[in-house]
Amino acid sequence: MKYTIAVLSLVLSAAWSAGALAAESWGLPEEEETRFEAMVVDTLCELTGDCPDKCGGGMRQLSLLTDEGELILPIKNVVAFAGTTVELAGFCGKRVIADGLFSTNRGVKVFALQFVREAPDGKWRRANRFLNLWAEANGVDPKSNAAQQWFRNDPTVITIIERDGKLGTGK
Amino acid sequence: MKQHGLAAALLAAIIWIVPWSSAQADTGQKAGETVKIAGEIIDSWCYLTEIMYPLGTAHHQCAVWCAVGGIPVGILSDDGTPYILLSFQGNDQSVANPALLDLQTHHVVLEGQAFERDGMHYLVADRLVEDNGITNMTEEDYGIQPFGE
Repeated sequence: MKYTIAVLSLVLSAAWSAGALAAESWGLPEEEETRFEAMVVDTLCELTGDCPDKCGGGMRQLSLLTDEGELILPIKNVVAFAGTTVELAGFCGKRVIADGLFSTNRGVKVFALQFVREAPDGKWRRANRFLNLWAEANGVDPKSNAAQQWFRNDPTVITIIERDGKLGTGK
Repeated sequence: MKQHGLAAALLAAIIWIVPWSSAQADTGQKAGETVKIAGEIIDSWCYLTEIMYPLGTAHHQCAVWCAVGGIPVGILSDDGTPYILLSFQGNDQSVANPALLDLQTHHVVLEGQAFERDGMHYLVADRLVEDNGITNMTEEDYGIQPFGE
């Protein structure tokens, strides 16, 4: 019995590490679940040769450069209305395994990052750091409604929408 | 004597030019194609995935949310090509750049360097030539995206 439980635990553990963190469908156009290894690079640096320390310290859009030389710009993390620099900045210049979705539309392929870990065997991390950092910066619980609806409660957003209106025309 | 002088001058020129050329190459700076692009400042995620109506006043609030959240800001050129903005007027902040937050949904004219890599177009926007404000009034047809309020 103990042997059976031990084997079952191992199987479940393997399933968790291999399958439970697999990409989740969002129903995007020409969606493709994917997992690949790549180096985290500063996109502007890669294109122009203008390369500050630490990939711009979290202020620049980061990309994933594959061994085949493909430059993949991750546009979205798993938090509503949030991007991926905050998820990848700590991996600048390092190799990671990225898990998420490709979507091809309007002739362009985009990537949504859902999980990431340092290659080859770092710990998987859900691409939702944005929420914790926003909650910390704004003094609220990450699980609170205020944090989950960060886009309605962000001070910068509030300032812009109060000034310009939801349509941007001042109405 | 004149020949010796000429040779010395040539040698001096070579000594001066070669290190200067090497130093230039070492900077690694790569230029893109110089362009002037007219178009609407957009939220790249919603436009490229079409998960909702992504343009004009109907999408303005969502575009502000996405830009503040660090999703790449782009410009949709009048000829239909989307570009990801990697710097703006000499500021290389492309995550929630305050100047771009204020330009969401505006129709603008930008000058800069365009790059294309693996199917994605990028723009280093050196100069804002024109800001025509918001001209694409879409809310009557599409409401307020994505929640209707």
